[in-house]
Amino acid sequence: MIKRVEINYRGIFQKNLAKKIGGDIVMIAARMGQVGFSNGRYSDAPERNGIPCKYFAFVSPDLSEEELEAECGAKLDIDEANISVVLDDTMVKGVEPWAWHGVRPINEKVVPYGHMLIVSRRRPEELVRFMARKPYPYYLALLEGDASFAGLWVYRDDLTHERVLGAIAALDPQLLSIEAVKGYLWDKTHEEHRVEAAQKAFESVRHNIHEVTPLQGIDWPYEIPKLPKWHEFSEGVVVKAVPREFHLGPKGQSRNQLFKRGTTKSQRPVVRFDLCTKCTLCWLECPDQCFDPTPDGYYDIDYEYCVGCGKCAEVCPVQECIVMVDELAFEDNRSPWEHWKRDPEGYVRWAEEKKGKHRVLPNVVTGTGERVVEVEPVPVGGKPKPAARAGA
Amino acid sequence: MATADKVLVYDRIKGVKQIPLEEFYTSGHRTCQGCESATVMRQFIKAAGPRTVVAGSTGCMYVANTSYMTTPWIVPWMHTQLGAGGSSAVGMAAGLRALMRKNRIPQEKINVISFCGDLGGGDMGLSGISGALQTDYDLLIIMYDNESAANTDIQATGLTTWGAQTTFSPVGKVERIMHRRWKKNVAAMLAVGHPNCRYVATACATYPPVDFLNKVRKALSIGGPTFIHTYDPCPKGWDFHPRYSHELGELGVRSGLLPLYEIIDGQVVYTYDARKTGKGRIPVREYLTKQGRFAHLTEEDIAYIQRMVDEMWDEWEVPGVAPFRGTLKVSA
Ligand SMILES: Cc1ncc(C[n+]2csc(CCOP(=O)(O)OP(=O)(O)O)c2C)c(N)n1
Ligand code: SF4
Ligand code: SF4
Ligand code: SF4
Ligand SMILES: [Mg+2]
Repeated sequence: MIKRVEINYRGIFQKNLAKKIGGDIVMIAARMGQVGFSNGRYSDAPERNGIPCKYFAFVSPDLSEEELEAECGAKLDIDEANISVVLDDTMVKGVEPWAWHGVRPINEKVVPYGHMLIVSRRRPEELVRFMARKPYPYYLALLEGDASFAGLWVYRDDLTHERVLGAIAALDPQLLSIEAVKGYLWDKTHEEHRVEAAQKAFESVRHNIHEVTPLQGIDWPYEIPKLPKWHEFSEGVVVKAVPREFHLGPKGQSRNQLFKRGTTKSQRPVVRFDLCTKCTLCWLECPDQCFDPTPDGYYDIDYEYCVGCGKCAEVCPVQECIVMVDELAFEDNRSPWEHWKRDPEGYVRWAEEKKGKHRVLPNVVTGTGERVVEVEPVPVGGKPKPAARAGA
Repeated sequence: MATADKVLVYDRIKGVKQIPLEEFYTSGHRTCQGCESATVMRQFIKAAGPRTVVAGSTGCMYVANTSYMTTPWIVPWMHTQLGAGGSSAVGMAAGLRALMRKNRIPQEKINVISFCGDLGGGDMGLSGISGALQTDYDLLIIMYDNESAANTDIQATGLTTWGAQTTFSPVGKVERIMHRRWKKNVAAMLAVGHPNCRYVATACATYPPVDFLNKVRKALSIGGPTFIHTYDPCPKGWDFHPRYSHELGELGVRSGLLPLYEIIDGQVVYTYDARKTGKGRIPVREYLTKQGRFAHLTEEDIAYIQRMVDEMWDEWEVPGVAPFRGTLKVSA
């Protein structure tokens, strides 16, 4: 028997975390007399900030190491997962690591009665409404918390690692028992608070497991792109360029249709067009060319391509004009400028409702904290005020 | 015979509102959130326009821009070997000249641009670039400098800033600083060594605004081989939140660590005057402390970098460009 665990994480920001969890699953399983090994998905390298990636752990109580390795090693991806861990809940909207993967459902690999374990502060139905309908039931387990992000050189020691291990023990005690998790953490660190964090997560997740039936979720309109075989490439390995096309207005710029990499984002920019001074900076500075100049001088956003870097929000010189908002607050990718044109007041109301009253400004060095400020929404017809740069 | 008689005439872009709206490097690439090197790609081709062929050496800007059978490029673009930035530029320019001479394609000015990373251009590919800068072809080589071999997960190169943590220079318990090379002065070295090259510049894609676009246009219209070195804040390798990549470029320039200049026919023109401290030159600390790759630096380390930068602006014969002082005395 083989148990397969996959850890879905955001490239670079959660790389060290995912690796640590995967490695420790194997170490703890070994304490329980099982064999295991863990590895990253080869095709994710080179990892880029924000791109959805995977780490795997394979455990078996009865196979030898060689047999397990022969069964699970050297594979690009796994076919099924008994437990699918998701370290950032915005990935429930789908994951696309490369163009040739297509936008895949986050629960693609979970087996009948297998577990999705998602780190989130949301309620189950708020997540399931974005996920693909499966032909069989499975469980959704929630570990309450925020996505733990850190930089390439840093492991952010905020106990997410210990908590995920404790949570996995709650889902499958044969894979990891909570005693083995605690024993391992204690022997390794001699720090009581780590053991406690695992135990607490174990208890809370046990009461936060929800069956997802084949009636729940959405139809997932995706097709995995068909990869040309090596002999189907044209001579010299020629790839077709994006056709030249430009006009003013939404989607007026031609884009790479085969790689809409919007699943990279965990936040998206919301624009108050009524405050915009048409300074061009968001458009000019976007590293992903997401802004479409409109006939009336504004800049629409193509959210299918936005990766949520936040640069536009940082360089916009007008207070409250571009604000980054949690990606799970949005259902679709429709043009915000068209929405505003159709219904200017309704749009502003909608935008302010999405933005809420708190602005979270990350510190410049990734994962070293953030500033939260409370703001009063600028009313329609309000005067544009200069913004202070958060990073200044 | 150079194609110089058909040089494209470009207008100087006087402000952000005059920047062409159309993209020739478009959305749908696999670069990091907030990647400034992607901004370099977008801007150079925006400035150059559609009658351009581009080659790119192996590195992030190749790998992240060719996600299996798809591309964000609208102009013709070709991948070339790591280290082949110079030779690929010469090859493309020579090919176009031959095709035009044989009347296989219409006589027309087509820009030739080849880009390479700091490892691919500043270290491995230096000899090829030197060769290219001694030809009579119209070509532009852009070295996009993210201060590491970024594509292979951030190894130190000859252009990495002193003291930075990289995969090759991890912070040790005994040795705190493993990277002790001062940044290689590639643009100035190429300008000094290649008298036929009429235009060499350094630039930062987003600061000051419009500057890089105009430098590309100047390079393309002056004729002959030209070279531009860009400084590209890299959120992954430098370890800062992608939201602040403009900020980091601006701080690097304003701290004087990254001198911005053009060398046009032997004349140095500064883009940003970092000689005056205060408003002109801010302390390097403001730049260094905003990056995780410098998190291990002590006060003395920062003071050392500050001393080196001060010396560069206050004591060099040509500030930020040439560190020499000469005396011409014939010994008796
Ligand atoms: C001859 C050769 N050696 C090594 C490699 C592996 N390699 C691929 S990309 C890369 C780093 C390139 O660094 P740089 O030129 O600075 O570009 P960046 O990745 O930083 O954009 C290396 C070492 C290669 N492709 N070819
Ligand atoms: S957050 Fe803004 S700058 Fe970043 S990709 Fe999205 S639209 Fe572009
Ligand atoms: S940066 Fe802000 S003010 Fe400037 S054009 Fe964009 S939305 Fe408008
Ligand atoms: S590693 Fe740096 S240069 Fe490479 S894609 Fe990421 S941000 Fe850009
Ligand atoms: Mg590099």
